[in-house]
Amino acid sequence: MSAVSMMKSMVLAAIGAVAMLQASPLQAQQAAEIHVTYSKGQFQPSQVSAPADKPIAFRIKNLDAKAMEFESKSLRVEKIVAAGSEGVINVRALKPGRYEFYDDFNDKARGALTVQ
Amino acid sequence: MRIWAKQWRCWGLLMGCALLGSSAGVRAQDASSWKDIETKYIFGFTIGSGIGLEGEKEFTIDTIGRFGKRDGHYAATETKYEFEFTPTQFIQIEFGALGATHNISGVTDLDDRRQLAPSGAFGELRYLAIERTSNNPLSVTLAVEPTVRRIDETSGARVRNFEFETTVNADLELLRNRLFAGFNLLYEPEVTQTAAGDTQREAKFGGSAALSFRIASNVVVGGEVWYLRHYDAANLTAFTGDAVMLGPTLYVQFTPKIFMTAAWNAQVWGREIGNPVSLNLAEFQRHRAKLKFAWEF
Repeated sequence: MSAVSMMKSMVLAAIGAVAMLQASPLQAQQAAEIHVTYSKGQFQPSQVSAPADKPIAFRIKNLDAKAMEFESKSLRVEKIVAAGSEGVINVRALKPGRYEFYDDFNDKARGALTVQ
Repeated sequence: MRIWAKQWRCWGLLMGCALLGSSAGVRAQDASSWKDIETKYIFGFTIGSGIGLEGEKEFTIDTIGRFGKRDGHYAATETKYEFEFTPTQFIQIEFGALGATHNISGVTDLDDRRQLAPSGAFGELRYLAIERTSNNPLSVTLAVEPTVRRIDETSGARVRNFEFETTVNADLELLRNRLFAGFNLLYEPEVTQTAAGDTQREAKFGGSAALSFRIASNVVVGGEVWYLRHYDAANLTAFTGDAVMLGPTLYVQFTPKIFMTAAWNAQVWGREIGNPVSLNLAEFQRHRAKLKFAWEF
């Protein structure tokens, strides 16, 4: 086997392995919905909770006159929500713990999700 | 003055400017109010477990310089022009082109050379295997990075080189938002076909440990140590030498979407099998440095 074909095989094997790892049965579960509004530069409510091991859908309604970016390093998501519109952010099933989120355009807008 | 010394001075100036530019952030702050940090780039050559945020895209320019052999003058750089994106909350994909420079004169076993050339291409797939939560400080990512080169990394000669770097990137949050430890395990087999038609197989194997302290919300400083072994076979059977590299690291976030990382490693110990000299300068270099700028969008 040539070096090039060996490389191709290894890359394909790696992609296949990752695809299999991604095929989690949890993705078929119905997501727990969390409704949050963003108004006057603050999340309402700023503290939310959700059950563990179940996918989550954040519904962020931005009532302000300018766009905001919902972001969280621990949730590993980011989404810009335009002024006066609603954005949906789908999050994987989570383990118990505290996950902070914020508006990346506004340092003062903070919130946290508690998963239990 | 040696050219590599001039290059070091430039890099030092850049790092100084970066620190000065971020000095507004370098003051006593309450770390509990800081946003979480992406750990991928805070450990220097050691790569953290971060894979970015779903939907995030990033363009980076990542230069690694290698300086100093046993004799003569040796300076080589390889720059990655890289696009990375995170399609899911578990996977990150990166790919890009490589450019290389070589400035070599009077080095035993290497031809004198002064060149700048596009040198190859690479891709990388990263999978987050263990994720950090507020109850679990450990995070682990597995990564594979196939690379094709037309210019030899060390000599600058025209070759056909295929490399398949495999790494385990782990990090631990020791103090919430403040202190992080990073660990890498590396296996890097490669095969090279020279212009003369010879085929050479080799591999690097090793690991690293790093410690990084967040001194401000946008500045992280630290240090790292690498232990690397070189083999003249992909299956790690023909050991030829090893080395220990040690040095400081710096990470500066200029804006929420722009950051840089820099690192410098010096070889502090090494051996060449069958050659009773200090340091291993046959397979490794006296110094190496890294400078990376990234733009997220």
